[in-house]
Amino acid sequence: MLGEFEYLLITAAAGLGEDAYGAAIREEIEARTGRKCSIGALYTTIERLETKGFLKTWMGEATPQRGGRAKRMVRVTPKGVHAAKDFYDAVTSMSRGVSWAANRARSAT
Amino acid sequence: MKSGWVLVESVARLLDRDEREPVLGDLVEVDESTWRGLRGVFGLVVRRQADLWKSWRPWLAGFAVALPNSFLLMGVSLSVTWSYMRLLCPELLAKAALTRPSALLVLLWQALLLIGWSWTSGFVVGTASRRTLWASVLLCSSPCLFCLSRFRIDSLSRLCLLLFLLPAIWGVYRGMRVSRINLSSALVVALGLTAMMIPAWSNGGLHWWSPQWNQNWALILPAWYLVATSRRPQGEIAAG
Repeated sequence: MLGEFEYLLITAAAGLGEDAYGAAIREEIEARTGRKCSIGALYTTIERLETKGFLKTWMGEATPQRGGRAKRMVRVTPKGVHAAKDFYDAVTSMSRGVSWAANRARSAT
Repeated sequence: MKSGWVLVESVARLLDRDEREPVLGDLVEVDESTWRGLRGVFGLVVRRQADLWKSWRPWLAGFAVALPNSFLLMGVSLSVTWSYMRLLCPELLAKAALTRPSALLVLLWQALLLIGWSWTSGFVVGTASRRTLWASVLLCSSPCLFCLSRFRIDSLSRLCLLLFLLPAIWGVYRGMRVSRINLSSALVVALGLTAMMIPAWSNGGLHWWSPQWNQNWALILPAWYLVATSRRPQGEIAAG
């Protein structure tokens, strides 16, 4: 099963779609979770997920605002989608009936 | 470019090129401060190095080859230097009851063994610790610096301890480029070096051969490691 940060990374990459690359994923995770995401954690996790077959990465184009340096583009594989779905199902299933999840559902409606 | 960014780029050089480019690009794109950039890149370098040390190879290269063999090879380098000095000094030659041709043979024998042992040790370090070479270099340097600082023979230069370095560096260079050698070449090297050591072993040390040379059997291990990890011919792999 995925780890928490692995799930966040896959979800951010899936949400960004064609625009998923290192800096964008990092920004997305920081904006959505309000937590700092170190570049070390990001790139080691990307590599680990790629080794597991959950992500595919390739070098993208270099842009002037990046100082002429290439992006590392990221795409979630079907295997990655499956793993993220399993993680989500497990978390939602485990959370059913607990006080903080019930409060959350009430405040959402 | 921010001041101090050169430092970030310097630390990033410890990363693979494929990783360095996107990482530095990301930092530039989000206009990261120098301090945060440096911390991020340094953190990534530490994680990458830690990953490398999960393998047994850097441990083998550093602690089983570079560290002990540099000690032993300094001793061999000193023996070679003594043999050379004896060749130049008739009194020492007479004291050792050697003729000039036999003393020359001893010198050549020792020099060949030194080159062979150093090269194979260097080769193993080069193949087993490509990205952790800095650690193997440190582990090799520490006994060298220790011995150099305690060297007290007036008639000899301290540098004679480091005769092994040149073939060892050549071995490291080849090891980093080739990674594995053919089985036949590895066998020739290993058998040749082993055969050259047999006289000292079977004779309990010839008169020109000091007893500590027997300890140097540890130095033959890298050559046999090369045989064990050599590139097999295609047919044998298919058959195996």
